[in-house]
Amino acid sequence: MPFSAVTLRRWLPLIQKYQGLVGLVILLAWALWKSPHSEDSAALFHSTYYTLANLRNILSQLAVPGILAIGATFVILIGGIDLSAGSLLGLLNCITATWLVNGGSTPMTIAWVLFLGTLTGAILGAIISYTKLQPFVVTLAGMVSIRGIAFVYTNNANISGLHDQIAFFESPWLGIPIAGWILFATTAVGALVLSKTVFGRRVYAVGGNTDAAYYAGVPVSRVRIGAFAINGLCIAIAAILFTARNSSAQPSAGMGYELDAITAAVVGGTALVGGYGNVLGTFVGALFIVCLNVFLILDSVSYYVGQGWKGVIILLAVYLQNLGRRV
Amino acid sequence: MKLGLLAMAAVAAVVLAGCGSDDKSAVTSSGSGGATEAKSPDSLPLVAFAQANSADPWRQQFDAETKEEVGKHTSEFRFEEQPAEDDASKQIGVIETFLVKSPKVLLVSPVTVAVQSAVEKAYDAKIPVILLDRGIPGDKYTVHVGGDNVDIGRQAGEYIAKRLNGKGTVLMIQGLGGVDAADDRRNGAMESFKKYPGIKVIMGDDCKFQRLPAQNFMETFLQKGQPFDAVYAHNDEMAIGAYQAYDHAATKPKVKPIFVGIDGCQKEVVQMIKDGKLDATFRYPDPGPKGIEIAADILKGKMPTDKKVVLPTVLVTKETADQYLKDNPNLAK
Repeated sequence: MPFSAVTLRRWLPLIQKYQGLVGLVILLAWALWKSPHSEDSAALFHSTYYTLANLRNILSQLAVPGILAIGATFVILIGGIDLSAGSLLGLLNCITATWLVNGGSTPMTIAWVLFLGTLTGAILGAIISYTKLQPFVVTLAGMVSIRGIAFVYTNNANISGLHDQIAFFESPWLGIPIAGWILFATTAVGALVLSKTVFGRRVYAVGGNTDAAYYAGVPVSRVRIGAFAINGLCIAIAAILFTARNSSAQPSAGMGYELDAITAAVVGGTALVGGYGNVLGTFVGALFIVCLNVFLILDSVSYYVGQGWKGVIILLAVYLQNLGRRV
Repeated sequence: MKLGLLAMAAVAAVVLAGCGSDDKSAVTSSGSGGATEAKSPDSLPLVAFAQANSADPWRQQFDAETKEEVGKHTSEFRFEEQPAEDDASKQIGVIETFLVKSPKVLLVSPVTVAVQSAVEKAYDAKIPVILLDRGIPGDKYTVHVGGDNVDIGRQAGEYIAKRLNGKGTVLMIQGLGGVDAADDRRNGAMESFKKYPGIKVIMGDDCKFQRLPAQNFMETFLQKGQPFDAVYAHNDEMAIGAYQAYDHAATKPKVKPIFVGIDGCQKEVVQMIKDGKLDATFRYPDPGPKGIEIAADILKGKMPTDKKVVLPTVLVTKETADQYLKDNPNLAK
């Protein structure tokens, strides 16, 4: 036996806590070994994967799914789930583009979109709190309705013709796209809210055991609404960055993105039952998935084969998480 | 002990995953070690293709024909393709990741105009860019290869008007709103119909280029009992859906109406034309082979002289169906 049950039991919690990081390190080592050779002298280890160009590429791809995943983490932590994130992203994408094309001022547009996102999230949270319906059902209904609103709002047409009003989000600052910095900032604020505030502790309390939290005097409904509002705000931030990156809008934009966000949270160690996980883990989980996508393209793996492996990795991540708890 | 076993299973899965990838690389490297090849594949220039999706029948045939053309140039370049599930954001990511690999030629079949900035980034980095099918605004690309949907619509309208001897009612089943292909195919056909005062057009529903919505729409339409002499669908899938509804309907026009679609990329459609169920389709040309041909020329130092290459359409009828099948062995099922 390479290791006994005792040593495993000692290491398992550590691996579980940092499972996203462990996966990321394995992936990066693998990429070093497998990715194509680069002639560029600036490339670390002569690998196309370890170039500044690829770092920028990864960070611009990471911003939107990363911020969505951070919002999703709050919702999952309280024991909920949000299936409407992709639809809301699409609607806010259309709203942002329409207002900017029609001459709206950039700061005002951004402020309104952030407000609308937060409000929509809060409304979903309130419906869940006061009707006692399952988050799955309420956000499923949200997913369908909000997508419909996006098609009605745009009259079923794409929106283009943005001048470079919000293109600055894509330009680099200190070598990293501003969208990347916004992701870092969102992650940091999210981590602080969860670890240092009363609201953060209440999020874990509600997700861990709602009844116990209720009897301990935690305002469960308000915490739920708060978590969904934060999620809505994150979706709005992501939608603005999405618009900047695509410099256009489509009512069908963001389809399926909610599942990517949930995947990132799960791979990063957040438990779908709620009460366990954090946004730093989610950040690493999202980073892992984008790094994997980029690696699969650089290594010329067929897209559909790549999809198959992603499923295996999700299963493995959840399995690892549950491992210690059964004992 | 149970815990240990489970953990070992997990580790084994990771190792297996590693082996899976090893197998793949083993295939590649044994290819490079082959004595028949003059150069190892890794040292060949890279031609990268960002495809919009690889799922619908037209794209399937597009991919198959592209690969066939690539097969003629295996000693000249390496070819890589990545689909983007019709998600513009995903395609931007694919293009930008391709750029990290510095391809010698980049082919892009844009999902929407949203990929413009990514394409321009490649073009600014002195990588020749060949756009296939849909285009983008501006002129920061090397060449655009595609069909002309307005012209195809015009020809389809002309065909239907002639078949009806200039007199009759045409039911038009619409493609997805907001998509250029649907607008162009409608406007082209309307141009032709306007030349015939005896032709009346009923605007049908937006059936999203899909078979089932067209079938549902047609079933409902037939209930009304409104007479019509021809069905013009913006693609074959909707023409098939409309025909199936007509075929199963209890109440239908006494004389079988004419059914005309566009795309001509499926064996099923050609077979239905042979069987006299559908009357005609117009091939929407697939730009893959021409794009690869141009890429190969660019690598030999021959830059294309035209900014736009328009591929011609082909009319498929009962008379030409057999020849069409012979000329196009890669049609989707």
